[in-house]
Amino acid sequence: MNHIKLLFFATIRDRAGTKSMEMDIPADMTILQLKEKLGSDYPNLKESMKSVLITINREYAFDEAIVPSDAEIALFPPVSGG
Amino acid sequence: MTENFSTIYSITESEIDLNDLLAKITLTSTGAAAIFTGMVRGVTSRGDGHETEYLEYESYVPMAEAKMKQVADEIRERWPVVEGIAIVQRIGKLYPKTPTVLIACTAAHRDTGVFEAARYGIDRLKEIVPVWKKEVGPDGQEWVEGDYIPKPGE
Repeated sequence: MNHIKLLFFATIRDRAGTKSMEMDIPADMTILQLKEKLGSDYPNLKESMKSVLITINREYAFDEAIVPSDAEIALFPPVSGG
Repeated sequence: MTENFSTIYSITESEIDLNDLLAKITLTSTGAAAIFTGMVRGVTSRGDGHETEYLEYESYVPMAEAKMKQVADEIRERWPVVEGIAIVQRIGKLYPKTPTVLIACTAAHRDTGVFEAARYGIDRLKEIVPVWKKEVGPDGQEWVEGDYIPKPGE
Protein backbone atom coordinates (compact mmCIF):
# COMPACT_ATOMS: atom_id res chain seq x y z
CA MET A 1 0.00 0.00 0.00
CA ASN A 2 1.04 3.60 -0.61
CA HIS A 3 0.31 6.36 1.88
CA ILE A 4 -0.81 9.64 0.28
CA LYS A 5 -2.02 13.07 1.35
CA LEU A 6 -4.99 14.67 -0.42
CA LEU A 7 -5.63 18.42 -0.55
CA PHE A 8 -8.94 19.90 -1.70
CA PHE A 9 -9.57 23.45 -2.93
CA ALA A 10 -12.50 25.70 -3.85
CA THR A 11 -15.67 23.82 -4.89
CA ILE A 12 -14.02 20.45 -4.32
CA ARG A 13 -13.18 21.38 -0.70
CA ASP A 14 -16.74 22.55 -0.09
CA ARG A 15 -18.12 19.25 -1.38
CA ALA A 16 -15.54 17.13 0.46
CA GLY A 17 -16.25 19.07 3.66
CA THR A 18 -12.53 19.04 4.51
CA LYS A 19 -9.30 20.71 3.37
CA SER A 20 -7.22 17.57 3.47
CA MET A 21 -7.10 13.88 4.32
CA GLU A 22 -4.62 11.04 4.28
CA MET A 23 -5.24 7.57 2.92
CA ASP A 24 -3.61 4.30 1.95
CA ILE A 25 -4.01 3.14 -1.62
CA PRO A 26 -2.75 0.14 -3.64
CA ALA A 27 0.82 0.63 -4.90
CA ASP A 28 -0.09 0.64 -8.60
CA MET A 29 -3.16 2.87 -8.44
CA THR A 30 -3.62 5.36 -11.29
CA ILE A 31 -5.13 8.84 -11.11
CA LEU A 32 -8.21 7.52 -12.91
CA GLN A 33 -8.64 4.76 -10.31
CA LEU A 34 -8.11 7.26 -7.50
CA LYS A 35 -10.88 9.48 -8.92
CA GLU A 36 -13.18 6.45 -9.14
CA LYS A 37 -12.38 5.50 -5.55
CA LEU A 38 -13.04 9.03 -4.26
CA GLY A 39 -16.29 9.22 -6.24
CA SER A 40 -17.55 6.00 -4.71
CA ASP A 41 -16.23 6.57 -1.15
CA TYR A 42 -17.54 10.16 -1.06
CA PRO A 43 -20.77 10.44 -3.07
CA ASN A 44 -20.67 14.26 -2.77
CA LEU A 45 -17.50 14.20 -4.89
CA LYS A 46 -18.77 11.86 -7.60
CA GLU A 47 -20.01 14.61 -9.95
CA SER A 48 -16.88 16.73 -9.38
CA MET A 49 -14.56 13.90 -10.44
CA LYS A 50 -15.59 14.36 -14.10
CA SER A 51 -14.00 17.80 -14.46
CA VAL A 52 -11.55 17.96 -11.56
CA LEU A 53 -7.90 18.93 -12.11
CA ILE A 54 -5.39 16.81 -10.21
CA THR A 55 -1.78 17.40 -9.31
CA ILE A 56 0.88 15.01 -8.04
CA ASN A 57 3.55 16.75 -5.97
CA ARG A 58 2.50 20.15 -7.38
CA GLU A 59 2.57 19.21 -11.08
CA TYR A 60 -0.54 18.61 -13.19
CA ALA A 61 -1.24 14.90 -13.57
CA PHE A 62 -3.48 12.91 -15.88
CA ASP A 63 -5.56 9.74 -15.80
CA GLU A 64 -2.83 7.21 -16.68
CA ALA A 65 -0.29 8.47 -14.12
CA ILE A 66 0.55 6.12 -11.25
CA VAL A 67 0.23 7.71 -7.82
CA PRO A 68 3.62 7.43 -6.07
CA SER A 69 4.05 6.71 -2.38
CA ASP A 70 3.99 9.70 -0.02
CA ALA A 71 2.54 11.82 -2.82
CA GLU A 72 0.84 15.14 -2.17
CA ILE A 73 -2.24 14.99 -4.37
CA ALA A 74 -4.36 18.10 -4.88
CA LEU A 75 -7.84 18.19 -6.41
CA PHE A 76 -9.41 21.41 -7.64
CA PRO A 77 -11.58 22.97 -10.35
CA PRO A 78 -10.10 24.87 -13.32
CA VAL A 79 -8.28 27.89 -11.89
CA SER A 80 -9.83 31.37 -11.70
CA GLY A 81 -7.10 33.69 -10.42
CA GLY A 82 -6.29 37.16 -11.59
CA MET B 1 28.49 46.25 -16.42
CA THR B 2 25.54 43.87 -16.56
CA GLU B 3 23.14 43.67 -13.66
CA ASN B 4 21.31 40.47 -12.88
CA PHE B 5 17.80 40.29 -14.25
CA SER B 6 15.38 40.01 -11.38
CA THR B 7 12.27 37.86 -11.17
CA ILE B 8 9.74 38.33 -8.39
CA TYR B 9 6.79 36.03 -7.90
CA SER B 10 4.54 35.66 -4.89
CA ILE B 11 1.13 34.96 -3.45
CA THR B 12 0.42 37.52 -0.75
CA GLU B 13 -2.27 38.60 1.68
CA SER B 14 -0.81 42.12 1.76
CA GLU B 15 -1.54 45.14 -0.36
CA ILE B 16 0.27 45.07 -3.72
CA ASP B 17 2.93 47.81 -3.68
CA LEU B 18 3.47 48.81 -7.30
CA ASN B 19 6.25 51.31 -6.61
CA ASP B 20 8.24 48.83 -4.57
CA LEU B 21 7.86 46.08 -7.20
CA LEU B 22 8.74 48.43 -10.03
CA ALA B 23 11.89 49.59 -8.24
CA LYS B 24 12.97 45.96 -7.82
CA ILE B 25 12.66 45.16 -11.53
CA THR B 26 14.21 48.39 -12.83
CA LEU B 27 17.86 48.10 -13.85
CA THR B 28 20.15 50.91 -14.98
CA SER B 29 19.56 49.64 -18.54
CA THR B 30 15.75 49.71 -18.16
CA GLY B 31 13.78 52.34 -20.05
CA ALA B 32 10.30 50.81 -20.22
CA ALA B 33 7.89 48.87 -18.05
CA ALA B 34 4.58 47.33 -19.10
CA ILE B 35 2.31 46.81 -16.11
CA PHE B 36 -0.98 44.96 -16.00
CA THR B 37 -3.02 45.04 -12.86
CA GLY B 38 -6.48 43.60 -12.29
CA MET B 39 -8.87 44.78 -9.60
CA VAL B 40 -12.19 43.67 -8.11
CA ARG B 41 -15.01 44.94 -10.33
CA GLY B 42 -18.01 46.03 -8.28
CA VAL B 43 -20.42 46.31 -11.18
CA THR B 44 -20.30 43.98 -14.17
CA SER B 45 -22.22 44.95 -17.28
CA ARG B 46 -20.68 42.61 -19.86
CA GLY B 47 -22.63 39.35 -20.32
CA ASP B 48 -24.66 38.37 -17.28
CA GLY B 49 -24.70 41.76 -15.51
CA HIS B 50 -24.39 41.69 -11.72
CA GLU B 51 -22.96 43.40 -8.68
CA THR B 52 -20.12 42.13 -6.50
CA GLU B 53 -19.74 42.88 -2.78
CA TYR B 54 -16.36 41.20 -2.51
CA LEU B 55 -14.25 38.35 -3.85
CA GLU B 56 -12.64 35.79 -1.60
CA TYR B 57 -9.45 34.37 -3.11
CA GLU B 58 -7.65 31.21 -2.10
CA SER B 59 -4.59 29.47 -3.45
CA TYR B 60 -2.55 26.28 -3.32
CA VAL B 61 0.36 28.51 -2.40
CA PRO B 62 3.51 26.40 -2.94
CA MET B 63 2.29 25.15 -6.31
CA ALA B 64 1.02 28.61 -7.29
CA GLU B 65 4.42 30.18 -6.64
CA ALA B 66 6.15 27.39 -8.60
CA LYS B 67 3.77 27.93 -11.53
CA MET B 68 4.35 31.71 -11.38
CA LYS B 69 8.06 31.02 -11.74
CA GLN B 70 7.23 28.78 -14.71
CA VAL B 71 5.23 31.64 -16.30
CA ALA B 72 8.22 33.97 -15.79
CA ASP B 73 10.53 31.36 -17.36
CA GLU B 74 8.18 31.08 -20.35
CA ILE B 75 8.22 34.88 -20.74
CA ARG B 76 12.02 34.94 -20.74
CA GLU B 77 12.16 32.15 -23.30
CA ARG B 78 9.81 34.05 -25.66
CA TRP B 79 11.08 37.59 -25.01
CA PRO B 80 14.78 37.35 -24.06
CA VAL B 81 14.93 41.18 -24.07
CA VAL B 82 12.72 41.34 -20.97
CA GLU B 83 14.87 42.48 -18.03
CA GLY B 84 12.75 42.24 -14.89
CA ILE B 85 9.52 40.38 -14.19
CA ALA B 86 7.14 40.76 -11.25
CA ILE B 87 4.11 38.47 -10.85
CA VAL B 88 2.05 38.95 -7.69
CA GLN B 89 -1.39 37.60 -6.79
CA ARG B 90 -3.13 38.86 -3.68
CA ILE B 91 -5.50 36.47 -1.87
CA GLY B 92 -8.06 36.80 0.92
CA LYS B 93 -11.21 38.90 1.03
CA LEU B 94 -10.92 41.74 -1.48
CA TYR B 95 -13.42 44.52 -2.12
CA PRO B 96 -14.26 46.46 -5.31
CA LYS B 97 -11.52 48.74 -6.65
CA THR B 98 -8.82 46.74 -4.85
CA PRO B 99 -5.93 45.53 -7.04
CA THR B 100 -5.78 41.72 -6.91
CA VAL B 101 -3.02 40.83 -9.34
CA LEU B 102 -0.02 42.51 -10.91
CA ILE B 103 2.21 41.49 -13.80
CA ALA B 104 5.03 43.84 -14.73
CA CYS B 105 7.80 43.36 -17.28
CA THR B 106 10.67 45.75 -17.91
CA ALA B 107 12.96 46.18 -20.91
CA ALA B 108 15.36 48.70 -22.39
CA HIS B 109 12.75 50.12 -24.78
CA ARG B 110 8.99 49.96 -25.27
CA ASP B 111 9.17 48.45 -28.79
CA THR B 112 10.82 45.23 -27.62
CA GLY B 113 7.72 43.11 -27.05
CA VAL B 114 7.43 44.16 -23.42
CA PHE B 115 3.68 44.88 -23.74
CA GLU B 116 3.07 41.43 -25.23
CA ALA B 117 5.22 39.84 -22.51
CA ALA B 118 3.03 41.31 -19.75
CA ARG B 119 -0.12 40.28 -21.63
CA TYR B 120 1.23 36.74 -21.94
CA GLY B 121 1.98 36.71 -18.22
CA ILE B 122 -1.56 37.52 -17.11
CA ASP B 123 -3.07 35.14 -19.66
CA ARG B 124 -0.86 32.26 -18.49
CA LEU B 125 -1.48 33.05 -14.82
CA LYS B 126 -5.19 32.66 -15.47
CA GLU B 127 -4.55 29.28 -17.13
CA ILE B 128 -2.15 27.41 -14.89
CA VAL B 129 -1.60 29.14 -11.52
CA PRO B 130 -3.78 27.47 -8.86
CA VAL B 131 -5.82 30.35 -7.46
CA TRP B 132 -9.61 30.49 -7.16
CA LYS B 133 -12.10 33.17 -6.23
CA LYS B 134 -15.53 33.01 -4.67
CA GLU B 135 -17.79 35.85 -5.69
CA VAL B 136 -20.12 37.25 -3.03
CA GLY B 137 -22.96 39.55 -4.10
CA PRO B 138 -26.47 40.61 -3.15
CA ASP B 139 -27.87 37.33 -4.51
CA GLY B 140 -25.52 34.97 -2.69
CA GLN B 141 -22.11 33.45 -3.29
CA GLU B 142 -20.60 31.37 -6.03
CA TRP B 143 -17.16 29.97 -6.87
CA VAL B 144 -15.84 31.28 -10.15
CA GLU B 145 -14.42 28.44 -12.25
CA GLY B 146 -12.03 28.85 -15.14
CA ASP B 147 -12.23 26.85 -18.35
CA TYR B 148 -8.60 25.98 -19.10
CA ILE B 149 -7.51 22.36 -18.82
CA PRO B 150 -3.70 22.18 -18.49
CA LYS B 151 -1.86 19.84 -20.83
CA PRO B 152 0.89 17.38 -19.85
CA GLY B 153 4.08 19.31 -19.13
CA GLU B 154 2.25 22.47 -18.08
